[in-house]
Amino acid sequence: MIKKTFNVPDMHCSNCSMKLESIEDELAGIKEINASYHKQQMTVEFDETKVGEEQIIAAAKKKGYVAIPV
Amino acid sequence: MSSQEKKLTGIPVVLMILGMVLLVVAIATLASQNLVGQDIAMAGSAGQVFIAFITGLTTGGLSCLAVQGGLLASSLAHQIEQDYLEQSAQQRKREKKHPVAQIRRSNTALPILLFLAAKLVAYTLLGALLGWLGSYFTISPTARAFLLITIGVFMIGNALRMFNIHPIFRYFSIEPPKFITRYIRKTAKGTDAVTPVFLGALTVFIPCGVTQTVMATALGTGSAALGAALMFAFTLGTSPVFFLVAYLTAEFGARLEKLFMRFVAVVVLILGLVTLDGGLNLMGSPLSPQNLIRNLVPSNDVSASAGESPQLPSLGNELVLYVENNGYFPSTLKAPAGKDLKLNLITNGTYSCALAFIIPDLEFFQMLSPVGTVQVEIPAQESGTALYFTCSMGMYTGQIIFE
Repeated sequence: MIKKTFNVPDMHCSNCSMKLESIEDELAGIKEINASYHKQQMTVEFDETKVGEEQIIAAAKKKGYVAIPV
Repeated sequence: MSSQEKKLTGIPVVLMILGMVLLVVAIATLASQNLVGQDIAMAGSAGQVFIAFITGLTTGGLSCLAVQGGLLASSLAHQIEQDYLEQSAQQRKREKKHPVAQIRRSNTALPILLFLAAKLVAYTLLGALLGWLGSYFTISPTARAFLLITIGVFMIGNALRMFNIHPIFRYFSIEPPKFITRYIRKTAKGTDAVTPVFLGALTVFIPCGVTQTVMATALGTGSAALGAALMFAFTLGTSPVFFLVAYLTAEFGARLEKLFMRFVAVVVLILGLVTLDGGLNLMGSPLSPQNLIRNLVPSNDVSASAGESPQLPSLGNELVLYVENNGYFPSTLKAPAGKDLKLNLITNGTYSCALAFIIPDLEFFQMLSPVGTVQVEIPAQESGTALYFTCSMGMYTGQIIFE
């Protein structure tokens, strides 16, 4: 398990953090996502053997957000 | 989908909109009848309920949608996705038989209605609870002033956040605790009727700024019934706008969202300034926008000094203030400094909140009768000073200038 933080500059309300956190239900290998509208960031705890950074970025993009690894 | 089917799916939406319009008209008629009634308590309460309803109808719907729209969208998203998949499958089948037939999404109206109905019930109960709590203590004008100022600052901060002025304003958006958002998220995945009902009820935990103002008013009523009536009227008022915008957004997609958010930001900013003004007026502050404007812009609505008025020659050290439905006249009274004075408050068929008369600096508060005269003792004041007076909402204001 590793923890990775992404900047998500286009979050515009606290509902966006809820949307981003829902990725944890959609991608296998993700343990937890904590997204913060205040910090414009999300921290993802995931199993790197099951899911990659690119897949997380793609999942965020699908929801309408650009996730940039910190 | 056949043309008959298309007509049938559109009927609930049309009926729903018609129903809401009729409800609005019925409530407005009832409230206005009560407003001109003879019983002051009834008129005052009906007036408050009517104002709450109009507030909901005009601004509350937009403001609430900005805060709670996400929750509604969550409950709709899955429904829309399912409808789409279902209809795509049906369309493929039908296209084989009728190549020109069109499919139209139709199931978003019901979840929105369920969401709004649950919200209405939840907020009515919340209003009853707040009113009941309020019956155990009285909110003083000063406490109300602080409450209004806090809410005003919160609303202005939120508007500036929506305009994306500076990252600091993001902190004006309250992020619910993770366990709540996680729970809501899991619930929002359901597609049954329970989901929108449950999410609608959950909106009590994320009230918008305007709602919070009405909640504070409900607390101030000190009555469970009136608190419930206020919140019911307000939430009912928000429903048509909430429904229409949510329905249209679901139908036309996120293209409208950006434009809509800008509009909400402008409305919230104006409301925030009005709320802040009310709070500052209740504190008797000369820095409230109303008092600043009054002192900067010369007005004809100024009385002569007490005893010098040609209309009131026999009053001596007495001042006269007419309390009318749309405020206090004259809004600026001039009085001699260093003398004890008597301020006569004259009402004649007044039923607005102007009846709740406050002079913050003297800690004077009195609920006036709709018809009559009340005399207030004003102790001697220094020359060059001013005493501000206002209604209990901080809406109608005026001042006595001592010279």
